[in-house]
Amino acid sequence: MASTDLEQKYNFEIVRWFSVASVIYLVVGTFVGAYAAAELAWPALNFDSPYLSFGRIRPLHTNAVIFAFGGCVLMATAFYSVQRTCGVRLWSDKMAWFTFWGWNLIIVLAVITLPLGFTQGKEYAELEWPIDILIAIVWISYTFNFIMTIATRKSSHIYVSNWFFLGMMVMITYLHVVNSLAIPVELFKSYSIFSSVQDAMIQWWWGHNAVGFYLTAGFLGIMYYFVPKQADRPIFSYRLSVLHFWSLMFGYVWLGSHHLHYTALPDWAGSLGAAISIAMIVPSWGGAVNGMLTLSGAWDKLRTDYVLRFLIISLAFYAMSTFEGPIMSIRVVNALSHYTDWTIGHVHSGALGWVGMVAAGALYHLVTRLWKTEMYSVKLVNMHFWMATIGIVIYIVAMWISGIMQALMWRDYDEFGALTYTFAESVAAMHPYYVMRFVGGFIYSLGGLVMLYNVIMTIRQAGTEPRISAEPVKA
Amino acid sequence: MSDNKNSTDAPDTGHVWDDNLRELTNQPPRWWIITFYLGAVFIIGYLVLYPSIPLVNGSTKGVLGWTQMKRLQASVEELDAIRKPFEDKLKGMSAQAVLDDRELSNYVVRSAKVLFGDRCAACHGTGGAGNPGYPILADDDWLYGGNIDTIQQTITNGRTGLMPAFKDNVSEQELDDLAKHILALSQGSEHAAGKELYNSKGCFGCHGMEAKGVEMMGGANFTDTIWRFAPGTEESIKYTITNGVNAPGNDATRIAIMPVFKEQLTETEIKKLAVYVHKLGGGQ
Repeated sequence: MASTDLEQKYNFEIVRWFSVASVIYLVVGTFVGAYAAAELAWPALNFDSPYLSFGRIRPLHTNAVIFAFGGCVLMATAFYSVQRTCGVRLWSDKMAWFTFWGWNLIIVLAVITLPLGFTQGKEYAELEWPIDILIAIVWISYTFNFIMTIATRKSSHIYVSNWFFLGMMVMITYLHVVNSLAIPVELFKSYSIFSSVQDAMIQWWWGHNAVGFYLTAGFLGIMYYFVPKQADRPIFSYRLSVLHFWSLMFGYVWLGSHHLHYTALPDWAGSLGAAISIAMIVPSWGGAVNGMLTLSGAWDKLRTDYVLRFLIISLAFYAMSTFEGPIMSIRVVNALSHYTDWTIGHVHSGALGWVGMVAAGALYHLVTRLWKTEMYSVKLVNMHFWMATIGIVIYIVAMWISGIMQALMWRDYDEFGALTYTFAESVAAMHPYYVMRFVGGFIYSLGGLVMLYNVIMTIRQAGTEPRISAEPVKA
Repeated sequence: MSDNKNSTDAPDTGHVWDDNLRELTNQPPRWWIITFYLGAVFIIGYLVLYPSIPLVNGSTKGVLGWTQMKRLQASVEELDAIRKPFEDKLKGMSAQAVLDDRELSNYVVRSAKVLFGDRCAACHGTGGAGNPGYPILADDDWLYGGNIDTIQQTITNGRTGLMPAFKDNVSEQELDDLAKHILALSQGSEHAAGKELYNSKGCFGCHGMEAKGVEMMGGANFTDTIWRFAPGTEESIKYTITNGVNAPGNDATRIAIMPVFKEQLTETEIKKLAVYVHKLGGGQ
C-alpha cells in the first residue's frame, strides 16, 4: 500500500506525538535519576533544599521513567501496531488525543507535586488521590480505544503483540485501582484503606506487577511487533507465544510477596511468591527465546541493522534479569540481597537493559516509518547503542559489588559474636560504587540525549511536508 | 540448536498481519518444554516442603517444618552461644569491675564498637574524635568528669548544658574584655580587665576560680586549647557569652544536649558503652 494511503488510513499523528514525547522523557527521566545517584555519592548536591532532597527526587525519577517515558512508549507502540495489525484506524481519534493530553497532564502534575512533598508513600504509586483518579480515567481511555480498535479489526485473528498489550492494560487497570484505594482527608492527602502488612502486601502486589505487566508484558507486545517486522521474519513459534503468554498472565500476579520475606507477612504467602517466582524463569525465557529464534537464519542482519541490534540486546538483558530476579526471590538469597543495592542493580538491568533498549529500537523504527526518512545519522545511533550498553554494564556491576559487599558487611561478626562493622562503615565503603553507578547512569542519559538530537534532526530533515510526498525508504 | 534447524521450513499458521507478520507452527524447543513442566513440578515440591497453603486455622506447615521465626532463632542462638559466657558475667558486675577485668573489657570493646558507631558516632565522631559543636571523647578533657561511673551516668540520664545569656548584663566593652581574657587563659596568660569581670560577673561559679572548669556544673575548662564551641576565636567566645547555652527564650543560644539513653538501651549496653568510651583514651 502506498504511504499516502497508509497515512490517510491510519492515525499516525498521535503516534508521532507519543514517540517524540517518549524520547524527551527518556532524557529527562534518566537525567533526574543520574542526579539522584549523584546525591547519594555526594549528599551536598541536595543544597539543603527539601525540593531537591533524595526522598523527593527519587520518586520523581521513578515516575518520570516508568510513567512518562514507559507510558508514552507503550502508548506510541500500541496505537501504532494495533492499527497496522488490525488493518483499521484507531476506533476514536478524539479519545486518543484525550489519552495523550491526559497522560501528559498527569506527568506535569507529578513534576509539581512530588518535589513539593505530596506523596502516598507507596513505591511507584506515590501520586496523591486526585492524580490517581486521573491516571485511572486516562488509562481506561487508552485501554478502551485499544479494545474497540481490535473489535473493529479487518483481520480474522488477533495478532500476538495485541494479546500482550491487552493483558497489560487489563491487569494494570485493576492493580492500579486496588492499590490506590484510599480515604482522602485533604486535596493532596489521603490514607490507604489497607493497614499494616495487608497494605504492604497490596503495595508489592502492585509494585511487582508494575514491573511484570507494565514493564514486561507491555514491552513484550513491543517485541512481538517490532522484532519480526524489523527482521522481516515470521515469529518462530505460535505455540510458544501462547504458552508463555498465559503462564505470564497467570504467574506474575503471585510474585509480589517475595518483596516481603522475613517481615510480618505470614510464611505461607512468602512461600507462594518464592515458588512461583522460580517457576517463572522458563515462561519469561519463552519470550526471549521466541524473539531470538525469530532471527535464526537472519543473524547477519545484526551487523547492519541498528534497530535489530537494540531489540536483540534488550532480549539478552530480559533473559538475564528474569533469571536474576527469581534467584533473588528465594529466601536464602533474599536474606542477603534484600535492602541492598543488588536490588537496585537488578531493577536497572531490567529497566535500562530490557525496557530502555527495546523501546529505543522500536522508537528508531517508528521515527523512520512515521517521518518516511532514514535516520539523520546512523553513526549517532550506534553511538547511542554503545553508550547505553556500556552505561548499563557499569551501573549493574557497581550495584552488584556494592550490594553484596553491603550485605556481607552487615552480617559479619567476629570471634566474640560482635558485629564487625557499623552501619556508617558500610555506607562509607559504598561510596566508590555510588560514584561508579552515577557514571554509568550518566553515560546512559547522555546516550538518550544523543538519540533526542538525532530524532530532532531526522524530523527536521524530513522537511515540512514529507508525510504525503515521500516514498517509504523500506518496504 | 538442533530443534531449530528447519524453523524456516515449518508452515505458518495461515494468517498474515500488516503485510509480512506471520507465525510459524514450530514446536517450542524441547529443553524449553521440559523445563517449563519442571517449573510446575518445582512449585508442587516447594509447596509441600514449606508452609504454603492458607487454611481456616493457619496454613499447611510443610514437611520441613521451616518457619522464618525458627530461622531467626537459629541465627540468634548461634551468636548467643558465643556471647553468653561474657554476657552472663557482665550482668552482675559494675562498670568499674568490667574495666578492671582484662578479658571481659576486651569483649566489651569489641561488642560496643558497633553500638558506639550506630548510636554515638553521629555526634561524637568515629572513635570519639568529636565533631564541630560536639565534645571529643578520646581526650582527657571532661565537662562532667571522666571516671567510669560518671560516664555511665552521662549516657544513662543524658546531660543538658546551661549557661545564661549575658547580652543584657554586659556592655560592649565588657564583652570585649571578657573574651580577650578567656582567649588569653587558653594561651597561659590573662587580661587584667577581663579577669576583673570574670569574677564580678560570677563566671567562676561554673568555670571555677582557676578557670579550670567545674565538673559538677558541666562548666568548661578555659586553661586548655580544647573548645566546647569551636573555633576558639574571640568572635565565637563573644557569641557564647552573649547568647548562652540552652538559655531559655533565646533562639540564638548555643545548643548542648546529650540525649537520655536509658529508654533506648539496656543497662548492659550502657555499661558496655561506658567502658568503651572510658577506654577511648581519656578515661580517669
